[in-house]
Order: sequence, then structure tokens, then C-alpha cells
Amino acid sequence: MGFLSEIKHYLRVYRRYLSTSASQAMSFRTSFVLLIIMDLLFTGSSYFKISFIYDHIEVIDHWVRHQLMFFVTFMLALNALNTTLLSTNFWMFSDDLKTGNLDYILLKPVSSIYIVFFRYIKPSGIPNIILTHSLLIYFGMQNNLGFIEWLMLPFLIVLSFTLYALIQFVISCSMFWLIEGLGINFLRLQMQELARWPDFIFSKYLRTVFMSAIPILLVGSGPVHFIFDRSYWYLIPLMLLLCFILYYLLHFIWNRGLTHYDSASS
Amino acid sequence: MSHAKKWLQTMKISWVKNTAYRFNFFLQVIGPALIFFFVKYSLWKTIYKSSPEEMIQGYTFTAMITYHIWSFVVSMIGQGHSALDMAVDIRMGRISSYLIYPFNFWEFHTASFLSFQILQIIISIVTLGIFLATGILESLSFFHFFLGLSASIYVSLFWFVLQYLTGIIGFWLEETWIIRVSLQVITVFLSGAVFPLDLFPEVWRNILDYTPFPYLTYYPIKIFMGQEVPYLKFIYTLGAWLITVLTINTIVWRRGIRNYTAAGM
Repeated sequence: MGFLSEIKHYLRVYRRYLSTSASQAMSFRTSFVLLIIMDLLFTGSSYFKISFIYDHIEVIDHWVRHQLMFFVTFMLALNALNTTLLSTNFWMFSDDLKTGNLDYILLKPVSSIYIVFFRYIKPSGIPNIILTHSLLIYFGMQNNLGFIEWLMLPFLIVLSFTLYALIQFVISCSMFWLIEGLGINFLRLQMQELARWPDFIFSKYLRTVFMSAIPILLVGSGPVHFIFDRSYWYLIPLMLLLCFILYYLLHFIWNRGLTHYDSASS
Repeated sequence: MSHAKKWLQTMKISWVKNTAYRFNFFLQVIGPALIFFFVKYSLWKTIYKSSPEEMIQGYTFTAMITYHIWSFVVSMIGQGHSALDMAVDIRMGRISSYLIYPFNFWEFHTASFLSFQILQIIISIVTLGIFLATGILESLSFFHFFLGLSASIYVSLFWFVLQYLTGIIGFWLEETWIIRVSLQVITVFLSGAVFPLDLFPEVWRNILDYTPFPYLTYYPIKIFMGQEVPYLKFIYTLGAWLITVLTINTIVWRRGIRNYTAAGM
């Protein structure tokens, strides 16, 4: 199968996933509405949290209110994408490993990594994606972003989201080595919590670790630093490089994990 | 077997279940509270970097960190428990066994909760010891510690009945975790776990006074810190909310059990 036809094949599969996820979501309408409310509550509390702190101070490190607000909404936008497109899959993966359902995934003629991490989509997250991206545009305007910055923003969101996703995929693979993988999902959530704050609030040592070895702080701080100050340009190629490294690392760990997987249902 | 023995046995089983997968328990229960504290510590350290003695709404850097250390303890003891399995038990029809056992559903979950609480208290005390030894917490008054601990245990009872309610909503709702997480998000923000309620705008503070939220984190922290707190108001208000939620739980359970189809039986 050629590269292009393979891409087409995967897109067709993804369209099916979208369709089944939408039907499933519509079957449980109360849950659907509650999920929207939950996402809005999270976004609201994150916004007010920063707003209330800035009612009493002028700057945090060197960032004024609208700069940190831009960072926070950038992360909220990524979070909304993550919740909609990926998060359910991580929870299902720990279940699939425990129950042996992964067996059926391994038999399918599509990459097992693709099925495991992209199978479930949460349509209820769409209103939150719209809200957070609107807020991002609003705070971008507050920061007087120039034409180039606006042009770069979609690319930076995609790059950050890719890095964010790859870090979470790699972390999730450690579930292969645990009997109960639920804790790994909580570890992943804690990584997200760290990423929601700019790198400069952490000590130098931790900043180095979380900007390179486990580059979770790079997800938000990399692009936002670059948008505010071009002298941080080197963070963007670093993010690209880390995406490549993590992509190959994911395949390596996944294959090692599969050899360790003992299939509970067999 | 006497009834007390059944409670004790259930507590033992729950203890074993919680400690069987220690790494998982650490990541699921202790990790989030530790990371939450660590982020807050880093944030306030950055805010106070230029002048640690500066007062922000009555808090110096040391006072703010002390507030967050106690916030960690309150969140561990007061709000650590979750009704994670309850809704799944209902949905999968697993509660059928409780209906025929001589030890019913609420007794089983309450005994499990008590066992979990003992574990949480031990972990909190050990962590406090570490905070003291490393100098992050400057001093500890045993009198206020025991007062605060009692307040946190009182909060945990309210939190337990609230979590129980989110669990038994599983009779009607497919996914109760949404309610649980929403409750967690609201509580963390409005109870003063993120930062002291003194930093909230006055309008918000006035409204919050009519809700149970300040009593879940802010007041217990103040008790731990040895500050002036309206103790009676704390006991009465939380007590009233506790009785209200308990009553709702009883009604919901009675109606829910009529609705129960015992899936898989």
C-alpha cells in the first residue's frame, strides 16, 4: 500500500471512529450535557484562578496579567483538544490491558497504536474547544500579537498538541508493566497539571528536567515564549526534534510492551 | 460472626486492597495531592521572590506556604476518598450480592472508607514529619494539630456522604465520574484549596459563606494554623449539610433500588 493510500485508509477509519463516537455520545444525552458542563467548569475555574491572583499582584516573575492569561488559554485550548480527541483512549487502554481486550485490537489490520490512542472521541468537548480557542484569540489581541504571530499560532498549536500527545502516549505505555494501570493515568493528569504553568515558576533543576528529559513544560512554555520573544526561537526546533525522538521511542516501548503483555483473556 | 467483627474484617480487606498495588495507590491518591502542593509552592515562591516579607491579603510567603501545607493535609484526610467503584458495581449488577449478604451496601462502603481514612491519616502524619524535618513547615502546635485533625475527619464524613451520593446516582446515570470530577473541580476552586479565600473578591466571599465550600478546606486550614475560627458555626453548618445529604442519600437509594435491574443476573 502506497503512503498516500495508507493515509487515506487511516482517515477513513478515523471517520468511522468519529461517527461511532458521536452515535454513542448521543445515546447518553444526560452524560453528554454533564460532560459539557464539566469542561466549562474546568475552564472557568482555571480562568478565575489566575484572574483572582492578579487582583493582588502586578507580575508573576516578568509576566503581567494578559501574558499569563494568554499562556493559560493556550494550555486550556490544548487541553480541550486533548480531552476531545485523546483522553478517553488512555482510560480505555488501562481497561483493555486488564481485561485482555487488547487481543482483539492486535488482530485488526490497522496499527495497534493508532487504534488504542485514537479510537474514542468525545464530541461533548467541541463547545469547550470553541470557547478556549475564542479566549485564546481574545487574549492574543490583548497582547497585540502581530501578523506573523497570528500566522504561526495554528502551527504552534498543532506542534504543541503533537508533543503533548506523544508524551502522554509514552507515559501510557508503562501500563504494560503494571497489573493495575489506573495510577499511570493519574500520573499523566499530574503531568498535565505541571504543564498548565509557565516554566519560570519552577526551580532551575526541575525546569531542565521538564523542558528536555520529560518535556512536559515545553508544551506550553515553548510556543508562548517564542510568540512573546523571538530570541526563544530555538525552542521550536527543539520541540520538533523531541517529537521525532518521542515518536520512535513510542514505537520502541510499544513493541517491548507487547512482548511483556500476557493477555488476560487468553 | 458479630457485627463489629464484620466491620473489622471489611476494613482489613479494604486495607489489603488499597495497599496491594502500592505504586498505583501512590500515583492515584498521594501523587496528585503532592504535585498540587508542589505547583502551588513553586507558584507562590515565584510571586514572593522579590520580597518574601510582603503581605498579600495578610499572608507573607511563610504564612502562604504554611496555608498550603495544611491544605495538603486537609485534602488528603478530608477529601481523599472517592466512590470510584460504587457506580460500576451498580451498573454491572455487582451490588446484588450486597442485597443478600448479612452486611449491606452502605456498611461495606463505610467500613472501606474508615480503613482508607486510617491510611490517609498515617500518610499525612508522615508527610507532615517530612515537611517539619526539611524546614518547609516551621513549627507545629500539637493542640491545633489535633483540633485541625478532628475538623478534617468531620469534613471527610461530609465528603464521604457526598461521594456516596455521586456513586448511587449510578442507578440512573451511565457515567457518574462526570459528577464526581465536576464536584472535585468546584470544590478545589471554591473551598480555598487553590489559594486562601481571602484572595477572592468580596462578592464571591459573601456568596460562598452560604455554601458548604469554605467549611471543606478554608476553615479546617485556619484551625490547623491556630487562627480564630467560629467553631460552633463550622460544626452546625457542616452538620446541617451532612444531615441534608444523608437524607437525600436515603431517598435516592430507596428509589434507585426499585429501579435496579441486576444486570447479568
